Amino acid sequence: MEALLEIKGLHASVEGKEILHGVDLTIRRGEVHAVMGPNGAGKSTLSAVLTGRPGYEVTAGSVSFAGHDLLAMSPEERSWAGLFLSFQYPIEIPGVSMTNFLKAAVSARRKAAGQPEPTAAEFLALMKQKMALLKMKPEFAKREVNVGFSGGEKKRGEIFQMAMLEPVLSILDETDSGLDVDALKIVADGVNSLRTSETSAIIITHYQKLLEYIVPDVVHVLKEGRIVLTGGRELVDRIEKEGFEGIDG
Amino acid sequence: MDKIFVIGRDAVPERVALGAEESLRATFVFPSGADSSLDLAVDLTGPGAELDLAGIFAGAGEETVDIRLRVRHLAGGCTSNQLFRGIADGRSRVRFDGLVYVAPDAQKTVAHQSCNTLLLNEGARVETDPQLEIYADDVVCSHGAAIGYLSADELFYMRSRGIPEEEARRLQILSFLSPVLSRLPESYYSLIGFQR
Repeated sequence: MEALLEIKGLHASVEGKEILHGVDLTIRRGEVHAVMGPNGAGKSTLSAVLTGRPGYEVTAGSVSFAGHDLLAMSPEERSWAGLFLSFQYPIEIPGVSMTNFLKAAVSARRKAAGQPEPTAAEFLALMKQKMALLKMKPEFAKREVNVGFSGGEKKRGEIFQMAMLEPVLSILDETDSGLDVDALKIVADGVNSLRTSETSAIIITHYQKLLEYIVPDVVHVLKEGRIVLTGGRELVDRIEKEGFEGIDG
Repeated sequence: MDKIFVIGRDAVPERVALGAEESLRATFVFPSGADSSLDLAVDLTGPGAELDLAGIFAGAGEETVDIRLRVRHLAGGCTSNQLFRGIADGRSRVRFDGLVYVAPDAQKTVAHQSCNTLLLNEGARVETDPQLEIYADDVVCSHGAAIGYLSADELFYMRSRGIPEEEARRLQILSFLSPVLSRLPESYYSLIGFQR
């Protein structure tokens, strides 16, 4: 199978302090990878670097995504190429409705792909269909982006955005934090229903709970800025029993 | 009364007095493309009078926007609201000088004033001077003037969803202005540089 994402020797710093000390990771089409690790291991830095968040400096290494040099692309170009991040802390945008926000996003994406922008009717039909998938209430479309959302609503909203944008590679950064069991199931069902043999996902978490519902093909342990161990789903149980303390690769 | 005044186009009174139970709701548009100024004094002279003022400005180039407001609560039980939002780009200058005066016997006054400016260029200058003079003790008053920049987090969030940087900035500016913009028909948007 073709590699969708290939990270080689990635070093990255925040405010002059190196957080990632050489990360290697290859993801093929159709695979779900879990990246687990204790707080401060560099999990969120990895997702920030992959999506091009300002303030994160790559000092060495390379990342190729669907044949592109990912690190040379702007955040919006990465999105157009099919990369999506479900934010650990989704950002509130007062005064902008979910509908207008996603209309701008979907239209920009279509434009970049040389396709016509959706008509208002097409777009609303798409919203309705994806909202049903995530069991969102109809008024959700009119609400301001993430403003006044509960923790669970924010995370569900992220997966809804993922459904709207139909990414090739989704990074779910601590999507399970702040979710009760019911919301966790809705989110997991949503993610699972979007899985195809062509799309991949990275699930970043430090709990095993979400991985009971979204079963990973490969599990990585990230500690102190390096991937110290890679294995199958059995690694999840080992971490559950032993914690991250006992795992050094 | 519910009115919209375009500065430089419409005649704006310099002094207004509101008697008992009278009300005025007015929105001022400071069009971009020319210097604009407003100098207005409103006296609330009778109990139960209500004043609701808002304004929107978009300074660009070498323009100046000059706003001077005097609101005097001379009778008790009156309400005044002043909500100004705007952007300062280029080498524009924005001045906001707002006074709320509450007379000694104007008890049960409610008065709020805010003027927030989004600074889009380091060459632009914003000076705000909101003042409260309160001589009554049973009142609810607030005032604030904030000068801010576009939020880097919001910008990145939008770009990560594929919204190009320029469009993301436009959405952010619209969202910042929305509390005042929502008081205007869309036909006014082009006056402050927005196409719909």
